[in-house]
Amino acid sequence: MNGFVLAPTAPLGLEIGLGLLMLVVLSMGLFRPSTPNRLTGWVALIGLLVLTGVAFAVTPGGSLFAGSFQVDALAVFAKRLFLVSAAISVLATLGMSSDRFAKRGSEYHFAVLASLLGMLVLSSARELILLFVSFELMSIPLYFLTGFLKKDETAGEGALKFFLVGSVSSAILLYGISFIFGATGTTNIAAIAIAMASGSVFVKLGLVLTFAGIGFKIAAVPFHMWVPDTYEAASTPFVAWLSVAPKAAGFIVIFRLYLEGAGSTAMVWVPLVSAMAAVTIIAGNLMAIPQKNVKRMLAYSGVAHIGYLLMGFAAVSASGTGMILFYLVAYLFGNMGAFLCVQAVGSAEHSDDFDAYKGLAQRSPVLALSLLVFLLSLGGIPFVAGFWAKLFIFRAIIDQHMYGLALIGAMATIVALYYYLVLSARMYIEKPDNPQPVPIAAPLLVAILLCAVGVVVMGAYPEPWVRAVMDAANGLF
Amino acid sequence: MPLSAYLSLAAVLFSIGLFGVITRRNTVGILLGVELMLNAVNINFVAFSRFHGTALGMIFTLFAICITVAEIALGLALVILLFRMRRTSTADHIDWLKG
Repeated sequence: MNGFVLAPTAPLGLEIGLGLLMLVVLSMGLFRPSTPNRLTGWVALIGLLVLTGVAFAVTPGGSLFAGSFQVDALAVFAKRLFLVSAAISVLATLGMSSDRFAKRGSEYHFAVLASLLGMLVLSSARELILLFVSFELMSIPLYFLTGFLKKDETAGEGALKFFLVGSVSSAILLYGISFIFGATGTTNIAAIAIAMASGSVFVKLGLVLTFAGIGFKIAAVPFHMWVPDTYEAASTPFVAWLSVAPKAAGFIVIFRLYLEGAGSTAMVWVPLVSAMAAVTIIAGNLMAIPQKNVKRMLAYSGVAHIGYLLMGFAAVSASGTGMILFYLVAYLFGNMGAFLCVQAVGSAEHSDDFDAYKGLAQRSPVLALSLLVFLLSLGGIPFVAGFWAKLFIFRAIIDQHMYGLALIGAMATIVALYYYLVLSARMYIEKPDNPQPVPIAAPLLVAILLCAVGVVVMGAYPEPWVRAVMDAANGLF
Repeated sequence: MPLSAYLSLAAVLFSIGLFGVITRRNTVGILLGVELMLNAVNINFVAFSRFHGTALGMIFTLFAICITVAEIALGLALVILLFRMRRTSTADHIDWLKG
């Protein structure tokens, strides 16, 4: 596989490489506090690009620690997704003005990489202890990163709210895991399916509590309250990542605990999950409508997207699971791109309100066109990535004869278009107050264009992506 | 004592912790509630560990304690950050975001 990694630890190659990169970034700040913030960012970015290249060269297979760490097709797919999203976020961060970091650039990038390491391990974990430890390794740096701009009035508040909700949800998750352990007597995830088949009450109780814990992390209604405040308070390139990668990680955990090897017993979850999906879609979309702040609007629309993803889970089929992965990739490009455009406008106008976007098409046509593409993709307009994502999810649940859920999803899509188009109208129809073009830092522009290319290519050629996600999902059934 | 006694104790402690998280006005009080919830979980793990005659649950407890410490340390740091900016540790006064 990777020639430069010692053979016995080859499955851990990516994680070891990332660990080394973390050490380099951290020691740059420790030993040379005068290191420019940009430099640590570039080092982190180059390291991430190398690791992403390695991740795309890795073939699935291999396990370590008596099977508790396995590199299967789903894990490899998830690792690529996490690495790409982190690389885009770090690239966009390079476009932030350097004084906002206040000489703590190495801390920031160290925390991003630490959280990423948690996600990489999480996607391979087949054992509850490893799963919980990597879940927390992913979560704890996120609280820190939310409050990173500590001179900002709201950063600490957003971080504290995120932290309190997050730590309560970890406690609930751990309580659930303790019941799963109690029912199975082992920490091996494969034992869950066996205990489910025997009808154990403890394992069901445990999995319901665990689902509540994960629900907080993926921000499904009724566990979504932290999302808008956290997104509004944190720095936007980080929010772009926060809105995608931890959510994807949450879904990987859901696949591992609830679907893998569960067979027909997984059908127990269908009523719970489809109810949650319906409520999440409706509530997320309705709460997004009255928002005046674009970040809060995108936060609530992100909640609604989680509902669509849960809908794919409610299908409990290989195609449903595969299409969740497809949706996650489309959401990665669309949502990260939208947040990065918000960063570009926000740093020029010092405001994230809708009014700041007046006449953006006349001021910066490229930026406005990219944002329009991202919004159309999020809204599910034909021939951009988001359209196929929604269509495939609907097809997966219609295959399971869940017509009501599909209808709710389709109607909510129309509601969602309303607030996406209100923002588009601001950009294209209204006159600008200030005709100056919006200045964009070059790295940020590159990141935005990358996302735009991703959205358009996925929309034009969905087949190769569908093949990739189905390869990853088929291993679970 | 039977397993159910330990599980009931853990459930009661967990509920008290959750009640504290929801009703406490002071952020440090909320953190104490979280601690109580996490320790209730540890009782669960140790009880199940004895019941199954395996050390796995106790190993899990050790990991859980370490992670809890890291988490609460970060939480206290955030409380101190907010206290320095606003001179209050009462959750009701931390309302600059719309929530």
